[in-house]
Amino acid sequence: MTTLADLDRARDIALDLSGWGRRFSFYQPRNCAFWGYLMLVGIGIFVFISTLAREYDAYGQAIGLAVTSFAIYAALFWWFTQYIDRYAKLPAKLMAVAFLWGGFAATGAMAANANDAILALYAKGFGQVWALNWGAGLAAPFTEETAKGSGLLLLIAMAPRQIRTAFDGFILGAFIGLGFQIVEDISYAMTSAGTQFGANQIGASIATIILRMVSGVAAHILYSAIFCAGLVYLLGRPAEPRKIGRGLVLVATPMLLHGIWDSLASIAGPRALMLVGLLIVVIVLALVIGVRVYKLTVQREREFVRDVMTPEEARNVITEAELGAVAGNRKARKAYRKAGRNRRERKRARYVLNAVYGLADELAAARGADTDRVRFARAEVGRIRAGVPPPPR
Amino acid sequence: MPDPETDNSSATSAPLFEPDEVWVPADVRFFGVDRRTIAPTLAVFALAIVMSVVLPVINAEVPYHDIVKAGDVVELESGVTFVPEAGWGITSGVRAGDAPLSGEYPSTATVEHGALKFRVHTGRFDGDANKLLDQIETTSEALNRGRGVHVTGAQKTIVTDQGKQGATVRVTGPHTGGVIAAFVFDGRGVEAVATGPSDTGQESTAAVFRMIRSISHPGEGKR
Repeated sequence: MTTLADLDRARDIALDLSGWGRRFSFYQPRNCAFWGYLMLVGIGIFVFISTLAREYDAYGQAIGLAVTSFAIYAALFWWFTQYIDRYAKLPAKLMAVAFLWGGFAATGAMAANANDAILALYAKGFGQVWALNWGAGLAAPFTEETAKGSGLLLLIAMAPRQIRTAFDGFILGAFIGLGFQIVEDISYAMTSAGTQFGANQIGASIATIILRMVSGVAAHILYSAIFCAGLVYLLGRPAEPRKIGRGLVLVATPMLLHGIWDSLASIAGPRALMLVGLLIVVIVLALVIGVRVYKLTVQREREFVRDVMTPEEARNVITEAELGAVAGNRKARKAYRKAGRNRRERKRARYVLNAVYGLADELAAARGADTDRVRFARAEVGRIRAGVPPPPR
Repeated sequence: MPDPETDNSSATSAPLFEPDEVWVPADVRFFGVDRRTIAPTLAVFALAIVMSVVLPVINAEVPYHDIVKAGDVVELESGVTFVPEAGWGITSGVRAGDAPLSGEYPSTATVEHGALKFRVHTGRFDGDANKLLDQIETTSEALNRGRGVHVTGAQKTIVTDQGKQGATVRVTGPHTGGVIAAFVFDGRGVEAVATGPSDTGQESTAAVFRMIRSISHPGEGKR
């Protein structure tokens, strides 16, 4: 018979393995990765700010529009990526560190230089037409995916006790990709602003901004998420045994998708309809693969939630249905909410789930200990379930 | 399933102590640094050096071999063409009839000969050649901010072999001289910029003006 002590031990193991709830300290002067990160991100920020400052007087309108539009876009994706990281959550500071790597180090300090050189070398070796046809598709997937993915190597060295699963790689990869996407989009908008000699900047750049926003859904954010999940499988982590075959497939898949994406105009030829059709097919394909990788990697995180919350169910803090919902997928949560007899109960069920997730986070932060915060979070679950209003402010 | 009524064990009341990331175990220190972090950092640095130093250096060392032959014509977006001088090297852009698979020619082409550089760019523009040249001057002054080349002298008129009237202006910079020419073909602007050492000879200058005058656009001659 399983005792509460067994369940508590399983919880301790899950918390230890997952790294859930551990705080992340960015300043680590005795960590080489910290200095490497600082140097490469610093170079990238310098390059980006210099470019912005140099071009601002000429393309100020387009820069203003691009920065504003992509800031809103980034905020939406930031919210979405945090939303899907609902199980063993990573520290927000780590996500910000990942975003900055993608935005500055991977672009200005690494991939941009390599892309220019490789495209020029292709043109010299195989001719200008060949380079225009296939250069981008055979340069960017290798340079950009590795530049972004290399950030995860540094992040693991900086946060080895937080980054433990392929899902952690998936989430951090998404943030690296988001940073990359935003900075690349701003530079694309600046390039567009110059296509009409600096006149009609808004008109010249708006189409680029809209296209990048639409296509960005299944571009860098998704590619990096898949690549970094694959990198974790390749390296192996304490909570994620090394799976080289799976890792290689996941690392190669976004490179292939990226290569196809960058070569779409050449594959479609001069047929506009064919190009639009291929665009849609590649976006849908990338999204389907992204969802499958999410489902593949998130399983481990759900197991951790179950292990952490099972002692709470055993102590009657939460119900079996609540445990099934918080450790389950979207369908399980929906089924739990829909079980309410009326709208009020269904609404309350949603609040209860949020309170249970809050309790799980508190338990993780306390490493499973019975602290004041944990006791309060338990009481909150009971209060909300009973429909007692919160105390007056 | 444990019975909470009979099982009295409970979770610990204080969390186990865990050091933060700043703490480095004594047996993994290398001159005070966590030696486990050296290898991944070196790997990332090696990648960064390959991307930012090695590849650009290799590119700079590899010469261009796409040399213009007599009769070659370079084509840009929307059918804009120019005739590059034989013997110059095409560093960007493609020849007419050799379109990329997408069917769209690039909007910019550049040919070089030693230190001389001739670049043609096309894009939509509403206005005449003088207005386009004003716009080019405004944009390049804003980009250069008094550094690099700047416009000297007044705008002059130039006529292409096709009979299209355009505007030119001289530019100078430290040890550099050149010319900017602008044409507008029915809502399509064309900018040609030639730069080179200030002591460029008459022959090269004549070659540059031959290339500028060779700029054409389909339909222009028919009207």
